[in-house]
Amino acid sequence: FSTTAPLELTKPQRYFRKWLKTRALQYRDPKEDGQPNYLLHPGLERLPDPHPNTDHPFPNNREFKSQPVLSEEARETIWNSVMIEGLPLKAVSARFSVDMRRVAAVVRMKEIEKRWEKSVSSHVDIGTPTAKTYAKAVMAMLPKANLADTEEPFEPINDIHISSHTQQQLFVPTPESRHFTRRDAAKAFGDHILPVDEKLRIPELLGFEEDIAAGVNPVEARGKFIKKAAMNEKKLAERTGMERRLKEDKITRVSNERFEFRIENINVDWSGAHGRGRGGIGWRYGAPHNDRRAGVVKIPTKV
Amino acid sequence: MVLKIRLARFGRTNAPFYNIVVAHARTARNSRPLEVLGTYDPIPKRDTYDDSGAPLHKDIKLDVARAQYWIGVGAQPSETARRLLSMVGIMEPKFPPKAPKAKTAEGK
Repeated sequence: FSTTAPLELTKPQRYFRKWLKTRALQYRDPKEDGQPNYLLHPGLERLPDPHPNTDHPFPNNREFKSQPVLSEEARETIWNSVMIEGLPLKAVSARFSVDMRRVAAVVRMKEIEKRWEKSVSSHVDIGTPTAKTYAKAVMAMLPKANLADTEEPFEPINDIHISSHTQQQLFVPTPESRHFTRRDAAKAFGDHILPVDEKLRIPELLGFEEDIAAGVNPVEARGKFIKKAAMNEKKLAERTGMERRLKEDKITRVSNERFEFRIENINVDWSGAHGRGRGGIGWRYGAPHNDRRAGVVKIPTKV
Repeated sequence: MVLKIRLARFGRTNAPFYNIVVAHARTARNSRPLEVLGTYDPIPKRDTYDDSGAPLHKDIKLDVARAQYWIGVGAQPSETARRLLSMVGIMEPKFPPKAPKAKTAEGK
């Protein structure tokens, strides 16, 4: 039998009361200079940096180094070069040292963005709502590249795939008088190996460099390069247009109130004499479904 | 009417896909036909990146010349098959579009 009153506070409650009397006193009143009075871990003295170093977005993970991203101005410059000035994609890619696929992606995204800004949304009088605040916040966390002439090149643009056939060491005896070119080197590695000249994404740059080496005026050489790139782009556009037209010729379009019926003209001979040819149209008779087969890709592999 | 141009249903549950086939009339629907003339996908699709034309379309593949031959030798199409063949002009549609009604007020 004890007359002492039982202890009603639990251990966390006791610790909290102790903290209130000691460390919590610095948070009782706001700071005199009006600065925020953040609750800090006992070990920490400094507050989180409001302007973090964008090279290392996660300061505790020094291995994570973010690659530079094109800034908003850089994207606008690229779009302007392609759509307003009308330069060929290859010329823009070479000028800014940005991969051609990235240039194309920038132009596509910018076009969508400008279309959204111009459009009138059905709900509101302004254009389609854009997430500009979010974009600004995300861009503030990343290292940016402005594509200025003084900066280092943004990325390599003419890298090629290195075939394993070309990684072997060859000793090909040739006469000294022979002019051994890249094409000869490719043929030495194998009959099916393409020379570098044909693997480059921007092969016109080879001609440009040859002109410079021959002593042609750089401005003139650049003009020649742009003209050649524009001509090749036009040829590619014509070829794509022809392919599209041939495909369209085979399709008959008939509309009713609800749908458009696209009837493509095919040839039953594509299925071959036995009816099982690869080019044959139609669901196969007697062929099993691959739905439950393991190791078969069942989703789209490209968009 | 021994030969028919009709639809053989394949695909999956609630997702049909038809083969347009020439087959003997009294064979099973999905048995191997004399010839597969094409396909008909009844599920309308959208153009993913193109908003300009019709919002929904249906894809049909058909060997028009071959279908015309079979009609010529007397194959009878089913109702849907006839509808599809009439779209390319091989046959007259069973339910032709109605002509607009003539004005009667002017006559008086």
